[in-house]
Amino acid sequence: MPPSLLSEPVLLILLSLADQPRHGYAILQDTRKISGGRVRLSTGTLYGALRRLLDEKWIERYEASDTSRGKQAYRLTAAGRRNLQVEVSRMRQLSRVASLRLAGTES
Amino acid sequence: MLTIYRVLVALYPSSYRLEYEEEMLGVLEQSNAESHDKEWPARLALAGRETMGLLRGAFEEHFRALAGFYPVPVFPNRRTSMRSEFRFPKTTVTLMTIILVAIIVTIEKAKAISQSIPPSSTQVGPIRPEYVGVVPAFLIVLVGACVLGVVGWAILFALQRSGMHRLSSVHPDAGQTKSTTLGLK
Repeated sequence: MPPSLLSEPVLLILLSLADQPRHGYAILQDTRKISGGRVRLSTGTLYGALRRLLDEKWIERYEASDTSRGKQAYRLTAAGRRNLQVEVSRMRQLSRVASLRLAGTES
Repeated sequence: MLTIYRVLVALYPSSYRLEYEEEMLGVLEQSNAESHDKEWPARLALAGRETMGLLRGAFEEHFRALAGFYPVPVFPNRRTSMRSEFRFPKTTVTLMTIILVAIIVTIEKAKAISQSIPPSSTQVGPIRPEYVGVVPAFLIVLVGACVLGVVGWAILFALQRSGMHRLSSVHPDAGQTKSTTLGLK
């Protein structure tokens, strides 16, 4: 799957798992935080995305010490991290071009 | 609210529930508990978001179980890329979700009725139609026509949103004319 087809919820979920493994509720809270409160994922959307990411082997289950109810943790795989880096590079390049174009228009 | 969430999670396919139901209910409980100290508009927004998310998720997982793929691309990007292939408009997804829920509820109701009837070896006689008066019959036809009209309108609206009606006005040489005009030969 080409990494350029990432939707914003999926990108936020991957970013949430980039620094450490997280369980479902922690991912919901973190995606809200890193989007500045703009994106609030529902549980259905989250688990739909998690299942697809597991199928694509971008993330994997992580055996944390707290495996009680609703506490299954997930973490990025090497492939998921690589694809996230490609996506972030693409966004950075696009952002740079957009900034240059807008600066040219304003001047 | 948790009872409603449980019912909505029960709409997912059994294979999906086996894997994720416990986790999802745990997260829903935590979200619900966190919302207790918030104002009612925030609680209402959360309930609406969770309900729509669960309905949509159940529809997508049933679709996947039946068709082998998701009704929308796996990772759609609606912000920074344009896709030329057909895309389900939101109205179609909503309509299909309503139909799916109606089918599931009907199946569950039928199961409950069949379980409530005790097994009997007595022969059941021929079922005769109940007499229906003119006014009730007219009302039934009227309601049926209204329902068909609404469904038809929804389908036409969905097709219009998808832009399919514009295909008939597309000429094969239209693109070439446009390119010539723009100096892109």
